[in-house]
Amino acid sequence: MIQGQIDIGEIVLHHAADSYSIFMFEWRRMESLQFGPFNVTPTKHVVFLFIAAFLVFLTMKVAGRKLEAQRANENAPKGFANAIEAMVLFVRNDVAIANIGHDGAKFAPFVMTLFFFVLYMNLLGLIPHGATPTGNLAVTAGLAVLAFLVIEIGGFLKLGPAGYMRTIFPTIPGLSGPGAIAMSLFMAPIEILGKMVKPFALCVRLFGNMVAGHLVILSIMGIIFLFGHLPFWNWGIGIAAATLLLGIMMLEIFVAMLQAYVFALLTAVFIGLMQHEH
Amino acid sequence: MLPYWLPLLQEAEEHVPTSPFEPEFGVIFWTWLVFGALFFVLKKYAWPAILSATEERERKIAHQLEEAERMNAEAKAALEEHKALVAGARDEASKLIGEAKTVGEAEREAILNRAREEQEQLVDRAKREIEAERERAIAELRREAVDLSLAAASRLVEAKLDDEANRKLVMSYLDSLEQAR
Repeated sequence: MIQGQIDIGEIVLHHAADSYSIFMFEWRRMESLQFGPFNVTPTKHVVFLFIAAFLVFLTMKVAGRKLEAQRANENAPKGFANAIEAMVLFVRNDVAIANIGHDGAKFAPFVMTLFFFVLYMNLLGLIPHGATPTGNLAVTAGLAVLAFLVIEIGGFLKLGPAGYMRTIFPTIPGLSGPGAIAMSLFMAPIEILGKMVKPFALCVRLFGNMVAGHLVILSIMGIIFLFGHLPFWNWGIGIAAATLLLGIMMLEIFVAMLQAYVFALLTAVFIGLMQHEH
Repeated sequence: MLPYWLPLLQEAEEHVPTSPFEPEFGVIFWTWLVFGALFFVLKKYAWPAILSATEERERKIAHQLEEAERMNAEAKAALEEHKALVAGARDEASKLIGEAKTVGEAEREAILNRAREEQEQLVDRAKREIEAERERAIAELRREAVDLSLAAASRLVEAKLDDEANRKLVMSYLDSLEQAR
């Protein structure tokens, strides 16, 4: 019996986790590779980070070159390059500039990079032997911290020191004198918490969506192995699970796009909120 | 039977140091590094090529909007000026008409006055002429009457009376009559 020998749950959980192996290649954690007190040996997800970044760059470079060639020949944009241009413009205009406002063009490269990077990382997990770096809490936390820095530093530069302090110690309308100061001081921890919660939600939402998808897919695959020993029924179970998996995989493609969109959109919304805080 | 790769997979996974729920700083570090590199590389080498046409178009549209606004303002100013001109012209015209009216009025008054004067003069002259004519007629009548009375009287007294002396006598009588009347 399989379930006696192998713990399916353990495999599923480990499969979604980071590791030092891809396909059949394995490497060791290098204890000497330190960055301060932290070990920075590249893991599977780090490798896929690089792959995603490279693919994003490749896509954009090729699309840009084709677009320039089409423009030079005065041809209408078409095909792959036009599709990429449309997507890039959508993220730039309808996600970044629409939510940030007049300064949106300044933040657009950040939001665009975020969107396509996250999108490619999400999609990489759907390829056989691929892995989703965004299914790693460290990756989404790293991106969320970057978003946090951009939101807060962007706000600080826009509002100035006094204006920025007002986002932490708010002026309460209708209050004056010592009461206003007391309320401001009381509100400060809540405001700071509010600033922290936004990127935290970004981080956990993306991670949760990605890991959950993988866990669902792996669990349904696990069903096949759990019941594979049953005579006759194993066929039915296999076919049913495979059909279900196909559906979930389709859903995952949608979720990969949706979550990249949500991450970029919310980052843009938060940047816009800080930019227009008065 | 077990798939041949399943234990292999499990063995490989045993090297895994973490579960998916434990963030590792090393991966955060790589995330920042890769994202930062990607951000700058894309910004330098990829976005300009893709966005240049759009940004150019945006600049052009913004420029055209500005131009349109400027021209609109100019047109408004021109219209305002035109309106002022028309209003000025209208004022001028009404002033001219008013002036003409007063001049005409004065002229009419003068003509009427002159006509009235002339008429009065005419009437006066006519009156004077009538008066003179009447005087003459009365004198004539009177002389005729005297002649007739004298002729009648000479017939009555059958005496030849001195014409001139008698006429004077009768005249004085008539004068006295006139004075008594």
